[in-house]
Amino acid sequence: MTLKVDRRTMILECISAILKRLVGFIGVLCVLSLMIFILARVVPGDPARIALGPNATQAQVDALRASMGLDRPVITQYALYLWNGLHGHFGKSLISGKSVIGEIASLLPATLELVIVAVLGIIVIAVPLGVVTARYRNSWIDTIARLVSIIGVTMPSFLFAIILQLAAANVLSRWPIIGRIDPALHPPAGPTGLLLVDSLLAARPEVFANAARHILLPALALAMAGIGQITRITRSAMIEQQRRDHVLTLKSFGVPERVIVWPYLLKLSSIAPLTVLGLEFASLIGNAFVVEMVFSWGGFASYGLEAILQKDINAVMAVVLVSGLFFVTVNILVDAIVMLIDPRLRLQEVR
Amino acid sequence: MAFDAPAAPGPGLSPRAMAWYRFSRNRSARIGAFMVVSVVFIALFAPLIAPFPDHAGAVVDFSARHTPPNLTFPLGTDKVGRDILSRVVFGFRLSLLLVAGVLAIAVPLGAALGLVAAWCGGIIEKGMTGFTNVMLAIPPLVMALAIGNVLEPNLVNAMIAITLVWWTWHARLVYRVAKSVAAEDFIEAARLAGAGHLHILAREILPNCISVISVKTTLDAAFVILFGATLSFLGLGVKPPTPDLGSMVADARQFLPEQWWEVLGPGLAIFYATLGFNLLGDGLRDMFDVEV
Amino acid sequence: MRNLLDISDLNVSFSAYGRRQHILKDVALSVPEGGRVALIGETGCGKSLTGRAILGTLPDTARIESGRISLRGESVLDMPPKRREALKGTAFSIIMQDPLSSFNPVLQIGRHLDDVMRFADRRLGICASCAERKARIFDVLRKVQLSDPEWIFAAYPAQLSGGMRQRALIALSLLHQPELLIADEPGTALDVTTQDEIMTLIDRRVSDNGLSLLMITHNLGLVRRMVDEIYVMRHGEIIEYGRTTGLFRRPQAAYTRQLVEAIPPLYGAAVVNRPASTAKPMIELTAVSKAFARRSAFAKSSRHVAVKEVSLSIREGEIFGLAGESGSGKTTLARMIMGLAHASSGAIMIAGKPVDAGSAAARRNRIQLVYQNPGTSLNPKRTVGQTLAVPLAFVGVRGAAAASRIETLLCDVDLPSHYASKFPHELSGGQKQRVAIARALAAEPRIIVLDEPTSALDVSVQRNVIRLLTRLGDTLGLTFLFISHDLSLMRNFCGRIAIMLKGRIVETGSPRIVFARPRHPYTRALIAAAPVMSEEEENLKPHIGPEERRRYLVGARARS
Repeated sequence: MTLKVDRRTMILECISAILKRLVGFIGVLCVLSLMIFILARVVPGDPARIALGPNATQAQVDALRASMGLDRPVITQYALYLWNGLHGHFGKSLISGKSVIGEIASLLPATLELVIVAVLGIIVIAVPLGVVTARYRNSWIDTIARLVSIIGVTMPSFLFAIILQLAAANVLSRWPIIGRIDPALHPPAGPTGLLLVDSLLAARPEVFANAARHILLPALALAMAGIGQITRITRSAMIEQQRRDHVLTLKSFGVPERVIVWPYLLKLSSIAPLTVLGLEFASLIGNAFVVEMVFSWGGFASYGLEAILQKDINAVMAVVLVSGLFFVTVNILVDAIVMLIDPRLRLQEVR
Repeated sequence: MAFDAPAAPGPGLSPRAMAWYRFSRNRSARIGAFMVVSVVFIALFAPLIAPFPDHAGAVVDFSARHTPPNLTFPLGTDKVGRDILSRVVFGFRLSLLLVAGVLAIAVPLGAALGLVAAWCGGIIEKGMTGFTNVMLAIPPLVMALAIGNVLEPNLVNAMIAITLVWWTWHARLVYRVAKSVAAEDFIEAARLAGAGHLHILAREILPNCISVISVKTTLDAAFVILFGATLSFLGLGVKPPTPDLGSMVADARQFLPEQWWEVLGPGLAIFYATLGFNLLGDGLRDMFDVEV
Repeated sequence: MRNLLDISDLNVSFSAYGRRQHILKDVALSVPEGGRVALIGETGCGKSLTGRAILGTLPDTARIESGRISLRGESVLDMPPKRREALKGTAFSIIMQDPLSSFNPVLQIGRHLDDVMRFADRRLGICASCAERKARIFDVLRKVQLSDPEWIFAAYPAQLSGGMRQRALIALSLLHQPELLIADEPGTALDVTTQDEIMTLIDRRVSDNGLSLLMITHNLGLVRRMVDEIYVMRHGEIIEYGRTTGLFRRPQAAYTRQLVEAIPPLYGAAVVNRPASTAKPMIELTAVSKAFARRSAFAKSSRHVAVKEVSLSIREGEIFGLAGESGSGKTTLARMIMGLAHASSGAIMIAGKPVDAGSAAARRNRIQLVYQNPGTSLNPKRTVGQTLAVPLAFVGVRGAAAASRIETLLCDVDLPSHYASKFPHELSGGQKQRVAIARALAAEPRIIVLDEPTSALDVSVQRNVIRLLTRLGDTLGLTFLFISHDLSLMRNFCGRIAIMLKGRIVETGSPRIVFARPRHPYTRALIAAAPVMSEEEENLKPHIGPEERRRYLVGARARS
């Protein structure tokens, strides 16, 4: 069947497809909020009691319960929670007494920076590595890359983080192994909160260099699992595609191997790793909890870990929802990119 | 191919012979198989293998604390003078118990739900895919931490926490494979021949999913060990003095970099176990030629 | 006459699973300058591999053990790699087989064409700008009857129809004037009428440009008018060689004879006329339609009508043929008769009762289905006996009775009884199809739907399967609904046929009358496209004018 499509219809259909997916993801967030709400309500122990400590009187606890809405029916509580959540209110932390969303907002850039650098690292390292290993199959470079990828997949990130720290401390004695920046530098308070970006905006290369040195090891520790997995997937996608007829077509007409590999196969083989990267994004956030702890990064994930360990219910709920939001955003982005790469998906929307 | 379709015509070999050839030619798969067998062996016979079986408990010997590796203590001793090797040996036991517990529930549950959702369709299918989509969005570690913290930190509760976050992934995979098998001509042919639902699920679809399930289960074992270690590293493991690889690393971290062996022993042990299961799983994947 | 290409004593082996397999055995073949040669053989006989050996695109696991391939007397195998590479697309050009997967799905057709031209230009030392190349490519696209080169150039493979992709592949091979054109099963995956057009196109391009042609195919009928000489290959060996006319009249090797006989005659004395049944109707369709709805957020929601107001009556004991090309709605119609799909409107009666009346069990007992591809219709994890036991249990035959019934069933389909313990992978394609037929019989149906039951099989076994079906139909008094696109097969096998086009039945009647006096232009086009074995038959075929061709062949499939 021939399919002549004008550009406008195609773009509109694609946008509508993305919007449809967005609606689906909003549904995911709603169910997620319900699940975390139910979980929060089965926590043994009274949140108000945890917040006030063992010495508070029953009257004080009851007052707090009333102000938190804990004395109302569960359905009402959930409705209220959703309503407030939609307006960006997730209540106060039971430990610090500050607004949860305020605390998260102040810590989020640190994690965002770490995650962005890690994801960039995964793409920049793993995809070319996968391509090269598929092309030179069973050579020494393939062996090394497969070793790297299996270590990435099998080694727990806390172990990798500790090993990196140890190695840095022993070999590069002045390499920073904790924190985001040398506190003596007084980093500029920029618009994004991302030190690497803000320092460039403020034209302070020494801050940028220092922040870059700080972020290298944690980002690597965080990226390692992804590098392992994405290398593996890129490699198998490339090998799978190499067997296809379209490669034979080009070979039959003498198109050089490098041209077949780079534009032709890479574009086709990047779809699988991108999709997996999107789906595994939640695991990446999970690993950030560990990596931030080991490197004392002081971001959103450390905050989440603290909140969970101290049973700070309001904070835990907000942390899980923000992680979910992270995941949803990334996956809509991935869907859009994959749609840009693959004309079959675009045509499918028109059909 | 996502399931066991008849392999490409080989030189007169049965699929089984070709699969065995692929496996036997795969050196890393053989290494993986050896590593897995050794871990299982060590875990089974821990009391006989450990040089100081009682060091798995609450033994304190301050005179021997922080001893570097030597002939008596091949992996050194910890902060209260217990032999790290003995504790690692018993740590394997705990890790494998965790694996067995989680997989014993998550694999059959996930497989059954995946199969039923793929075959019955309708509201069960919608519900299952919807629910797994939600589970995808939550970092499994965060979810397990949250659940684990609600409950008391111990082995059974760690199992529960990991199972709760993990079974959906298994169900998702089995669902995907079963769905593609269910679309095959031979399933419709069986329906036309008068086969009932149970027959189709158990006799027609399931046998075509077994290889995927076994590969996934092997890889899952690695995941559960890794995940359990991470949970206990973060403080949600088994209560001391029971030896637990993750919490041993966490305990020893404060003595870095001077007492490096205290991290090295349990760290290597975790790596060894996960690596073994992973290599074996990869080998099985190549052998059955399936995508997991 | 000098030979352009000479192959002598070519031996190629493959290594797989630690064993070496000798695939091509002492292959010798020559193509004269300006000559047209065909290489015929079944799937997996090594014919495509021969083509790849000439081009130099053998897979890594293959090795040329010995032999010589020479171009105008110069050995190709001894050339330095760079010179050998330079022959690709300029001395040797190939028309690839499968139009669906032969283009990279995420890149435009134009990108493929341009890259092939760019690198061939570079090897030939031609310096051409992007615009010049585009102009030359557009020229070639017009030559292969792609009238809108601008659009084709910018289109992605998925946007084109199969016939257009096949034309684009031909364009790819004609970008530089090659000396030898290797056509590897061109148009095999396409409908008969499209395939006919593709063959005509190749024919014209070869004669207009004075090329030599090496045609690789499994279809003997297809090459009769295309080539002068034929090589027949089996199991990697050339078993017969001859001029086309001689080989068709007096095939020497037993295998070649089988191939020639496997193509059923359309006209003449050899044609079998099956008697029409006068029994009571078994299947009755009254104004049956089936529509699928398409939804869209921006464009208007549309309905795709797969079957339009079909009325049919199939008599008991009849072999009823339903012909049509892909997308004509014949499969949808069959599924509705089977009760696997529901009609949007109209009534379907089976043996006097509505199709969805009674329990599901009772319905299944009446109709069984034999699938096109026996490779996918048998469960790879179940033995033949286990597969056959399912319908037997359903009709109440279990235990020892089932075992003896399985033995009888296997005997009915000419298989030895010990095959009950075999797995599908241990059987050949024809044997698998016999098992599938036995499974259909086991349910003791009165009607069997045959969905192209022979098209996935090699020609040499097709005949036996058809013979088996005919015998079973006669002895068991079964009613067959035979779905196919192969008109010559239907001519000899069916008592009555119906031709379907775009969801409608355009012609019904006994094959004798339909073939002698086809009323509908589409029927004429279909018959004209069917390959035949002799010039006499060719002359008896109906003729179609260019206007009809445009209306029913090109227009029938284009959708925009």
